Amino acid sequence: MRFIFPTIAVLLEASMIVLFGFFVKYETEQNAIQQPNSTNSTKVDRSLELYPLFQDVHVMIFVGFGFLMTFLKKYGFSSVGINLLIAALGLQWGTFVQGMVHRHGQTIYIGIKNMINADFSTATVLISFGAVLGKISPTQMLIMTIIEITVFAGNEYVVGEIFQASDIGASMTIHAFGAYFGLAVAGVLYRTGLRKGHEKEESEYHSDLFAMIGTLFLWMFWPSFNSAIAETAEEQYLAIINTYLSLVACVLTAYAMSSLVGHRGKLDMVHIQNATLAGGVAVGTCADMKIHPYGSLIIGSIAGMVSVLGFRFLTPCLTAKLRIHDTCGVHNLHGLPGVVGGLSSIVAILLGVSTASSMTMQAAALGSSIGSAIAGGLITGLILRFIVRGQPSKDNFFDDSVYWEVPKEKELDNV
Amino acid sequence: MGSKYPPSVRGCLPLWTIALELAFLVIFFFFTSYDTSSQDPKELMGIYRVLQDVTIMAALGFGFLNSSLRRYGWSSVAFNLFLLALGVQWAVLVDGFLEWSFYKKVIIKLSSIKLATMSAMSVLISVGAVLGKANLLQLTVMALVEVTAFVTVRMVDRKYLGTDNHTSMMYIHVFATYFGLMVTWCLSRSPPVAVLVEKHQTTKNSSLFTMLGTLFLWIFWPSFNSALLDIPKERKTAVFNTYYALAVSAVTAISVSALSHPRGKINMTHIHNAVLAGGVAVGASCHVIGTPWLAMVLGFMAGLISIGGALCLRAYFNHMLGIHDTCGVHYTFGLPGLLGGIVYILLMFYEVTWTKNSMVFFQLLIDTGVLSLAMASGLIAGTLTGLVLSLKIWKAAHVTKYFDDQASWEFPHLAVGF
Repeated sequence: MRFIFPTIAVLLEASMIVLFGFFVKYETEQNAIQQPNSTNSTKVDRSLELYPLFQDVHVMIFVGFGFLMTFLKKYGFSSVGINLLIAALGLQWGTFVQGMVHRHGQTIYIGIKNMINADFSTATVLISFGAVLGKISPTQMLIMTIIEITVFAGNEYVVGEIFQASDIGASMTIHAFGAYFGLAVAGVLYRTGLRKGHEKEESEYHSDLFAMIGTLFLWMFWPSFNSAIAETAEEQYLAIINTYLSLVACVLTAYAMSSLVGHRGKLDMVHIQNATLAGGVAVGTCADMKIHPYGSLIIGSIAGMVSVLGFRFLTPCLTAKLRIHDTCGVHNLHGLPGVVGGLSSIVAILLGVSTASSMTMQAAALGSSIGSAIAGGLITGLILRFIVRGQPSKDNFFDDSVYWEVPKEKELDNV
Repeated sequence: MGSKYPPSVRGCLPLWTIALELAFLVIFFFFTSYDTSSQDPKELMGIYRVLQDVTIMAALGFGFLNSSLRRYGWSSVAFNLFLLALGVQWAVLVDGFLEWSFYKKVIIKLSSIKLATMSAMSVLISVGAVLGKANLLQLTVMALVEVTAFVTVRMVDRKYLGTDNHTSMMYIHVFATYFGLMVTWCLSRSPPVAVLVEKHQTTKNSSLFTMLGTLFLWIFWPSFNSALLDIPKERKTAVFNTYYALAVSAVTAISVSALSHPRGKINMTHIHNAVLAGGVAVGASCHVIGTPWLAMVLGFMAGLISIGGALCLRAYFNHMLGIHDTCGVHYTFGLPGLLGGIVYILLMFYEVTWTKNSMVFFQLLIDTGVLSLAMASGLIAGTLTGLVLSLKIWKAAHVTKYFDDQASWEFPHLAVGF
């Protein structure tokens, strides 16, 4: 760890600087017009209006995702710390790769919108990180970040430019993609015995409260996430309202289902931390469509239920039968609701509320996202397992002290 | 002693919640529509920023503000989110129905969600007094009743008493506090001392979490106080006044807390309660106060009253009246809110005296009427709700399980030391 990690990290950063030096320039009044999709010269002004939305997304990426993963009792440092590391690397690489794909290798002019999109691309990695949390080394995470964002940018290009599918809140291209990519990697990196449980893989009273901070930050800013790349004010309004309504409905059904499947009607903190967000994921694809307020409530309700049921029944099954150990349950928070989002967009188009895309193209987009995620994840997993290596041994899973200087543990203050 | 385990709510909580969500779905299906008028991007973003600030206060601020009990942190935060989600949906509908007539569809704008979030905050304030003594089902019923009552009071204020949107909202603190106090009074006349000694305590960690909530409320309070003002000049005044009142009340709270301790130590619970008092007190009058020093004096008084109340009144309320106020909402919101209401009445009186003489007593009467309406309706609605909630059908936890997360949460691997 001492030499390999710093070397790789510094090399990556150096190559980022070189790439930025050659290909990336600031957006100015003159070159803004050459950008695709820009028809007026007020784009730079508009770009500053987007800054608050960018900040919201930024808070979600760094605080929301970071703290959401702090529920493990001995893995809080890594959750927040490595989250910061890979998000910082990912947004540089994301800016570059997305720019390359969309500008076909010409110079990239970055504005606020590129920053938002770069943050989006890191979200996929952070989602996948949730699946492999505690079972992977920082070095492996760096490599995974690079590969995953490349695959993501390719898939996004296919979905957006070739299929012309509509996916404003990126339920399919980010959430479903990130979740299945992470699951595939976790499947390849599986170590025997994990399905029987790991002694360090448990939460603590206060670590669960920390995770709740992450949940709340994600919950509060989700409307910004889904509306950040909306083009017109009307779409933005629709995206905000739909996401908000879907989230509130999702909270109610998530609590109800958690109590229903729990012992003696008790609630489960894991469900509350994750399933309350499923509504935001699921409404993403059709957030800018006129699905009516009740439509968003329906999507949110379904997502909350599906997510809790996934946690209760599907995750144990995945671990036991398919040997895929999903630490944070990203499949239930991002995977299933993402699929629900894709399907609901198909239903929405079937009902005729949107003409932005066609049913086949939405289905193709969903298929392409999941397909490329699984294929990319399997390859990445193999690379990490046999080429990069350095995965911690099973005894060191879910343990901060392997990578961090951890203060000497005193008696917990129970007084 | 009752049974060792709290009664199972498996049969009723999911059923009620899902039925409620279905009911919302049906009502939304028939009675709501989008705002179809053309949107100005700048204006949209402006409202959205305010909505977001208010949501942060409601979800994060109030959630963690109440998490000070050492064994009740999960419930405080998670129930808060649940009640917010429930309250917003219901408040959007009730607001819409009372605002327009029944045969017109409720138009869902960003501003109506903002208003609904603020109305739902009344529940989040009251919950501070009830926390730990009611299960989620009882809180659900309480939220429905309280939102309805509060929105109705606001409608009466606006339609019949001629109060503006802002002032009627700012009496939320008084209304919600007395609502919560009455509910907790009906639910349990003082929990047994043994339970209180064991569980009604804070720890270092839980106190820090509470501080997180307090800080977020403190930071975003100017947004809350200016959220419903439409004139830009008034908005600006409101933000400035709130900002300075909060600053002064924070300084006052910390210094007075040290002063009141025999060895000059600061009490963290006082800080949680009293730093926000300035923002509460300045709420009603923040748009009419012309000079910062007035707001600062108000903040100072609010800080004093809040800590004074916590020191002197707490024992009296607990033992004599049997009202057990879990998180001290009476000192954070109730007393400063009353102070703010009275100051607002005096200010309006003073302003009217300057202009026209004939209107003086009429104005005084109306303003006093609005304040006492908020308080009285809080007391009455709270008592009624409390009586309904103390029925057996809600399967409330036994009194020995008060202030305990284990009554409503699963602990898969019971952590050591919990």
